[in-house]
Amino acid sequence: MLASILVLANQAVNEADNLLGQAAGDAKTVKNPILPTVNEMFWAAIFFIALWALMKFVLLPRITKVMDGRTDKVRDDLAAAEAAETERVAKLEQYEAGLAGARAEAVAILEASRAEGDAERRTQIAAAEADVAAARAEAASEIADAKARARSELTGSITDIAVGAAEAVIQKPLDRAAQGRIVEDYVNAAGQN
Amino acid sequence: MIFGLEFPPIENLVEWPNLFGPTDSWYGFNKIALINLVALVGTSVLFLVAGRQKTLEPATNAPKGSRNLVESAVAFIRDGIITETIGPEGLRYLPFLASLFFFILITNIFEVIPFFHMPGNARMAGPAVLALLTWVYFIAVGIKHQGLKYFWNSVAPPGVPKALLPLVVPIELLSTFIVRPFSLAVRLFANMLAGHILLVTFTVLCITLWGASLLLAVLPFSFLMLVGLTGFEIMVAFLQAYIFTILASVYIGSSMHAEH
Repeated sequence: MLASILVLANQAVNEADNLLGQAAGDAKTVKNPILPTVNEMFWAAIFFIALWALMKFVLLPRITKVMDGRTDKVRDDLAAAEAAETERVAKLEQYEAGLAGARAEAVAILEASRAEGDAERRTQIAAAEADVAAARAEAASEIADAKARARSELTGSITDIAVGAAEAVIQKPLDRAAQGRIVEDYVNAAGQN
Repeated sequence: MIFGLEFPPIENLVEWPNLFGPTDSWYGFNKIALINLVALVGTSVLFLVAGRQKTLEPATNAPKGSRNLVESAVAFIRDGIITETIGPEGLRYLPFLASLFFFILITNIFEVIPFFHMPGNARMAGPAVLALLTWVYFIAVGIKHQGLKYFWNSVAPPGVPKALLPLVVPIELLSTFIVRPFSLAVRLFANMLAGHILLVTFTVLCITLWGASLLLAVLPFSFLMLVGLTGFEIMVAFLQAYIFTILASVYIGSSMHAEH
């Protein structure tokens, strides 16, 4: 009994020793997972510095060269576009100035033509009026001549008829000249009425 | 065991055995180092392929394919980050900042890439190295532009009344030279680690629910959540790369001029 108790006690002591030893070993190996480890820091530093060097001397220049080239091209294209726009504005102003000059010249020509036309019209109207007055005077003269001629012919005929009728009534000849003056006076008086 | 789930210990999620090299050696090459190597090789190959890619038309010189992708990313860093935070004189720092952006983005994106499922920056080593390099870099830029007066100008900005200097100098000293690298590293590391743990949590949940007949009905919701979070982590991967790069750019810009 005692022997078995001693054996059990010995086993318990051994197990306790083992547990204590294991706990001590664990305490030695357990690390704080938050703290950085040297090997990870070493490799992180190596790889980052390598990337930094590559980025500075190899990787970025290839990319930024094209980007800068594109930026320069865009800048040049913008400058060219601005120059073209300036040129366009200048040409537009020049065209508008020419257009305004042409318009002023056209207006001047139009005004001159209008004045010339007016003068010509007035001249032609005056000439036509003069022609009309001349024609009217000629017509009046012709009318007066015709009227005088008709009156003379009428006076002669009336004198002949009246003197012939009077000579037939009184059975003796009359003074044709004197009778003729009487008839002429009568016709003239009748023509005035 | 959490609420009946067999959740793995945190060290099982983030610590990886060496692929070569003895355990605990300074050159042990594990999964995180492999991810960093892929970030280097992947970025280089992408840029080299893009550099060889012909433009769309010789007349317009318009980019296409991989060149379009790379040029868009470079233009984003150049115009969206450097020009906005430093100005045109900061374009000389494009290689460093572009390296930061691509290195962080690619190491982050491994969180959702099958067979990897581990963001390189969910381990503190990567963010710590990048933050330390950024710290050294912006101090070097400050010394280059302002000489040794940079250190005094950084902790005592011009225009601050002398009476306030005892208060301002310790604050600026702490914020510029200690908090900056620490916050850079912790922000990136904590975000990626949190995202990683979130995805692992929902993955473990899906696996557990698959085996539990009574809870199988909940599986679709858990799976949809996992899919949604995967998309969210892609956004976080990009966002953290952007934040780290733009903060580095701001720090470099502030080192160039004393008035900053």
